[in-house]
Amino acid sequence: MENLLDIQFLIESFPAIISRLPITIGIAVGSLILSLVIGVITALIKIYRVPVLRVISSIYVSFIRGTPLLVQLYLVFYGIPKVIYFLQIEYGWLQSADVNSIAPEVYALLAFSINLGAYLSETIRSAIESVDRGQFEAAKAIGMTPAQMMLKIIFPQALAVAIPNLGNMFITTIKDTALVFIIGVVDIMGQAKILGSRGLAFFEVYIAVSIVYWILCIVVERLLVKIEKRARRYERGIAS
Amino acid sequence: MIKLENIHKYYDSQHVLKGINVNVNKGEVVSILGPSGSGKSTLLRCINFLEEPTSGIVEISDKRVDASSASKADIFSLRTSTGMVFQQYNLFKNLTVLQNVMIGLTNVKHIKKDEAKKTSLEILEKVGLTNRLNHYPAQLSGGQQQRVGIARALALNPEVLLFDEPTSSLDPELVDEVLATIRAVADTGKTMFIVTHELNFAREISDRVVFMEDGIIVEEGTAEQMFNHPKMERTKQFLSKATRNN
Ligand SMILES: Nc1ncnc2c1ncn2[C@@H]1O[C@H](COP(=O)(O)OP(=O)(O)OP(=O)(O)O)[C@@H](O)[C@H]1O
Ligand SMILES: [Mg+2]
Repeated sequence: MENLLDIQFLIESFPAIISRLPITIGIAVGSLILSLVIGVITALIKIYRVPVLRVISSIYVSFIRGTPLLVQLYLVFYGIPKVIYFLQIEYGWLQSADVNSIAPEVYALLAFSINLGAYLSETIRSAIESVDRGQFEAAKAIGMTPAQMMLKIIFPQALAVAIPNLGNMFITTIKDTALVFIIGVVDIMGQAKILGSRGLAFFEVYIAVSIVYWILCIVVERLLVKIEKRARRYERGIAS
Repeated sequence: MIKLENIHKYYDSQHVLKGINVNVNKGEVVSILGPSGSGKSTLLRCINFLEEPTSGIVEISDKRVDASSASKADIFSLRTSTGMVFQQYNLFKNLTVLQNVMIGLTNVKHIKKDEAKKTSLEILEKVGLTNRLNHYPAQLSGGQQQRVGIARALALNPEVLLFDEPTSSLDPELVDEVLATIRAVADTGKTMFIVTHELNFAREISDRVVFMEDGIIVEEGTAEQMFNHPKMERTKQFLSKATRNN
């Protein structure tokens, strides 16, 4: 009798796939953090209309939004070593960098940060601009510096506004990390592929990996709800 | 001790303040009255450079700041020697009542936390809100929020308090508690500028009344003079009309 699925194989593939979860989560969380930095900087450049940088950052955002993530991943993976090599040969810069020793995870992290940063830029900008002007004025009126005003008053309020959006993009990013296998990163997807070709049971391993993604996303969604509640607690609940 | 010299303000080509001169002594309470759009808020906001005057000089105590050459340090000095109370309260929404009052002390004046807390509690005591320390602004009535706003403005112990229509957003039944708080602050000898449409309150609390229209000071004098014997026809019209509306 022909089996639709090799259940045994499916179940046995879980431990190996899950062992690669730190790579997937690491790239997703790492690029979330880096992209928040990029997003805040580009948002502030836009809000404060910084000359020159403003043009550069809008070209950046437009380029990232207008090209496939897959292409960006290749550009980073093939482009950065070339650029480093070029700088070493032509200018003698970055001599200590050994292009061949850079792990593919690093390129993946960079590519995803650059990608997500561009998308976050707009979200962060509109979140900052959604903060009531009176909050800025009150901060200035008591003598806060722009940095204090941003860190203590504006960002916390903007974050509360942006979290649902940030969360969605983060979840999208988690799923998009499935692409990193193409540059040689063995994430959960990569591991599934390896197992699949080893056992010639692709359907099984992709079912297994999809379940892992699914559960991961559910957990993250739950977490986001909690974080959002916490970030917005000042809107209703009483502080302890 | 507070001197505004020939303050001009343009928004693009619109001339909003047309050479304002005011001298205020320490401890005086000055009301700024005038029709909507006459430049009252703009004037108040020029004092702490929330709006930069196009030209003119702001002097508080010994600190003289010329708008044409104001440095960041000058503006900082004006902002820490003034406290502002806003029509919309503008409490920091993400901070509790206590944190709202403390933050200027800890972050701007760099005072130690426990000392800042002690000072803040004293001030909150004065405005009667020690039972709401850990509430967020969204959990307070408008009147309570505005009293926190006054406490926050008082926290840095400024030379002068600037009130921009402090009761205009309040439900009528909440106006009195805020006016009482302002009155109590005035009684401590704080120098204050109050922009208000509460004419009876202005009349009662002010040492001096300034009547503005169209970017100039039409007339100024003691509350008694201004309400009972205004010199200018326009002042008389405005004050009597508004009194009837009250
Ligand atoms: N940020 C701004 N940009 C452009 N014009 C402004 C700005 N702020 C105020 N104005 C204009 O300056 C003039 C004076 O405004 P201001 O707010 O000082 O009046 P006001 O006397 O406080 O009026 P109200 O009693 O309605 O509060 C108005 O014509 C207003 O439209
Ligand atoms: Mg006004």
